[in-house]
Amino acid sequence: MAKHHVSATLNGNAVEYLCETGQTLLEVLRDELQLTGTKEGCGTGDCGACSVTVDGRLVCSCLVLGVEAQGKKIETIEGMAEGASLHPLQRKFLEHAALQCGVCTPGILIAARALLARNPDPTEEEVRFWLAGNLCRCTGYNKIIDAVLDAAREMRGN
Amino acid sequence: MAPALAHVVLISSLSREYTDGVNEFEIEAQTLYDVIRVLDRRYPGLGEHLEDQTSVAIDGEIYEVGYYHRLRPGCEIYFIPKIEGG
Amino acid sequence: MDAKTIKQEEVLKVVGTRPVRPDGVPKVTGLARYGADFALPGMLWGDILRSPHAHARIRGIDTSKARALPGVKAVITSADFPEQKYEFLGPERVAINFWHMTRNIMAREKVLYEGHAVAAVAAINKAVASEALRLIEVDYEPLPHVIDVDAAMQPDAPLLFEDMITRGVEPAPARPSNVSKRIEFKLGDTEAGFAAADEIVELSFKTAPVHQGYIEPHGCLARFDADGQGEIWASSQGHFVVRAYTARLLDMNIGDVLVHPAEIGGGFGGKTVVYIEPVAALLSRKTGHPVKIVMSREDVFKATGPTSGSSMTVKIGVKKNGKIVAADGVFKFQAGAFPGSPVMNATMCGFAPYDIPNVRSVGYDVVCNRPKSAAYRAPGSPISAYAVESTMDAVAARIGLDPLQFRLMNAAKAGTQTAWGPKHAHDGYAETVKALLDHPAYAAPLAKNQGRGVASGFWFNNGGESSATVHITEDGSVAVATGSMDIGGSRASMAMMAAETLGVAYDQVRAIVADTASIGYTHVTGGSRVTFATGIAVVEACNKVIDELCARAAMIWNVGKGEVVWEQGCARFSGQDSGKFEPLSLKAIAAKRAVTGGPIGAEVSVNAGGAAPGFASELCDVEVDPETGSVKILRFIVAQDVGRAIHPSYVEGQMQGGVVQGIGWALNEEYIYDAAGHLLNAGFLDYRVPVASDLPMIEAVLVEVPNPNHPFGVKGAGEANIVPSMAAVANAVANAIGRRLTELPMSPPKVLAAIDSGRRG
Repeated sequence: MAKHHVSATLNGNAVEYLCETGQTLLEVLRDELQLTGTKEGCGTGDCGACSVTVDGRLVCSCLVLGVEAQGKKIETIEGMAEGASLHPLQRKFLEHAALQCGVCTPGILIAARALLARNPDPTEEEVRFWLAGNLCRCTGYNKIIDAVLDAAREMRGN
Repeated sequence: MAPALAHVVLISSLSREYTDGVNEFEIEAQTLYDVIRVLDRRYPGLGEHLEDQTSVAIDGEIYEVGYYHRLRPGCEIYFIPKIEGG
Repeated sequence: MDAKTIKQEEVLKVVGTRPVRPDGVPKVTGLARYGADFALPGMLWGDILRSPHAHARIRGIDTSKARALPGVKAVITSADFPEQKYEFLGPERVAINFWHMTRNIMAREKVLYEGHAVAAVAAINKAVASEALRLIEVDYEPLPHVIDVDAAMQPDAPLLFEDMITRGVEPAPARPSNVSKRIEFKLGDTEAGFAAADEIVELSFKTAPVHQGYIEPHGCLARFDADGQGEIWASSQGHFVVRAYTARLLDMNIGDVLVHPAEIGGGFGGKTVVYIEPVAALLSRKTGHPVKIVMSREDVFKATGPTSGSSMTVKIGVKKNGKIVAADGVFKFQAGAFPGSPVMNATMCGFAPYDIPNVRSVGYDVVCNRPKSAAYRAPGSPISAYAVESTMDAVAARIGLDPLQFRLMNAAKAGTQTAWGPKHAHDGYAETVKALLDHPAYAAPLAKNQGRGVASGFWFNNGGESSATVHITEDGSVAVATGSMDIGGSRASMAMMAAETLGVAYDQVRAIVADTASIGYTHVTGGSRVTFATGIAVVEACNKVIDELCARAAMIWNVGKGEVVWEQGCARFSGQDSGKFEPLSLKAIAAKRAVTGGPIGAEVSVNAGGAAPGFASELCDVEVDPETGSVKILRFIVAQDVGRAIHPSYVEGQMQGGVVQGIGWALNEEYIYDAAGHLLNAGFLDYRVPVASDLPMIEAVLVEVPNPNHPFGVKGAGEANIVPSMAAVANAVANAIGRRLTELPMSPPKVLAAIDSGRRG
């Protein structure tokens, strides 16, 4: 069966790709576009390692089909920094040692950015519940929460 | 002059398979090399087993088995199964 | 190895601070490359066919239809792998036997668990590979299976190996069984000890098997050439082990295999073994193309090694004043399909924090129809600690003693006899208990339905073989390379120890992980060994470089080498009229390297010994919902003796991470099988690990009793923290509901049943 031709915006740039009907957006990003920053942890939408935003909405890219991205704006971890300037969340994760193996980090950064876009002053509990869909097995979440709250503080200008 | 004796214990059942169950020895030795060679002479094959499959506690400190460990007279040596972590 | 003096009198400038790790930016920008992130031109996708049966004989495999499918370039079975000699080698806990290992990589005579690999294909894309697997016909003769450890030990249990005679039993049993080995450690006379006790508590426990739960599935890329050489990019805790095992399983020279250390997305012991690398290598060799294999999450649960489920009985006898006089433990562990559970560690660690004159500790390694167990963070010790520490708590309650005071009263210290032979050589345990006693939280009041639990634990910590190179670049920066895969920030601590030793700024030093061809043999990143053993190699390499730098300075100044010292990052003249020469920095000496003899650097390989064990004590407050049985963690404090924290943030992170794994193990995680031995919860939805909303902040208290065998006093920190965690939670729940659960996990239905039975009874 012929592949589908998809046009979309990826991290601010126009992108085109071919994909099979059954290929997920995650597979497209990793295998067709060589953007391996978005990770597969489970393939069933349970771990959040594949988090991206599509038209500003936080999704598991393993649960989105490649064809569904037609005409949409996709944001992945590779587009989070402003050129060579790290996003405050990225900087705070490094400062707070909020990553050990780092494989959950791209998904968590994307998810955290989505949280702060809609709620710039979350409580610890709100951060924990928002990130409940992003599994981390290394850190116990402590320093991740610290980093997100600290980044939020900086982004608010406090 | 009193000989430099090391008190040597094999705690693994696999080690004791080589020695018919005997597990404690007083061995005149200045290095661990001496200990291994004495045991291997008495129980052929035991030397390689100790080198490859055990770690050694010398006065409580745990080391990989090495020929070069120097022993003080009266030291306590336990050959223990190699421990691996995760 | 000689004892090193720890620089306690000097103020440390780098060690103990919290700089950003050198590999951090690629990890937060998505550029760091893990095992599944590599690609090469002409690459094929590999996929593996796995058994649908828990136990079956393989009567035949027909791969003809798969081979004929367009796009399929190779199909392999165990027939393509050389046979291995049956021989137990290496560490007794793992009892590596390549006869078993090759059968775990790909089944031969039988499949021994659902998910057991039986064949593999390489094809032009994932879809064709999947389709090819569907076309492979395997003729199975299903056999009865057994999974539970107690069931597997019954005389009429289905046998995995018809010729398995239990080792470690005298005389050897006449009939085969599923018990691969029996282990026993004895100290003193437990019969007499129990006879003299005023109070005795005996409890039995069961735990379910749990998976390490690393978020990154196994993934690798292999490229093997027609001349027999090959390269593998793999995420693994030990690329030298990947090299050794792959070479052995494919009958190759070790030197013909080069393994690149990809970044690794968690391991916790589960990635110290190989599953897919030899398969990818063989497929690559057959097809002449690179082959990539990435496991699915379902396959990770079904086919990679979890830790053991267990059945245990612990008996402790005490005098009224709290002195423990006797202890007995029987620990039965599931090994999975092939021998090698961590039961030996469990038997040695369980009573190790305590000074007990009479101890018997018995372990059974039992095979059963599930994946072969693999290491999981302090392998075996958290399981026996759950049983021992729960019993300790019950004993303290029986005689009316505070549980921490009870532990302190019986605490092991340097000179205390262990149950398995030598005397402890290090202090550190009592200090962790005191840290909790002194903590204000210990006296904090509790409300209704809340309970507080404490527990302690011991783990060995490994030393072993490590290699490091240190080179001074042309402008005086420092390039450090080691053979230790970095699983949690060790590049930072290597750079910090090098910077401290050389007396230069942290940012002047960069640390990388070298591949297997570029540096000497280095054992796995596991067993809490890297900061200890590889750190020693790094420091010794720096000392060699310092020696060389002084010799070069002496040449530059035309003085005797004995008149040059290295202080605060510079070579200084220490002879008469010391102001004669300006100190020479790394940059200045590097600029003169060519005229003084060439590039400046050193490589050091060590077989490090004297790794001090880890002790941890933990406090957990819970609230139990009496309507649902749900357990909420209100507070968790972990006090661990880490010797010295090189980078406190990463040490705290290890402690917090280990505790949370223990919390999941205590409350939710388990493998759930149907009657046919199929895994029902092979995914993160139903295999429930802790999520951010389950937890409070975990407080890490760093206790530092320095280890004289490491230049900075380091004790391994990665593992000891998980050892007490399940017991701490279990003791808290017992105090909250007034009844003790003796089975893990303590999921809500079980807690509710305990509460309800308490109400009725």
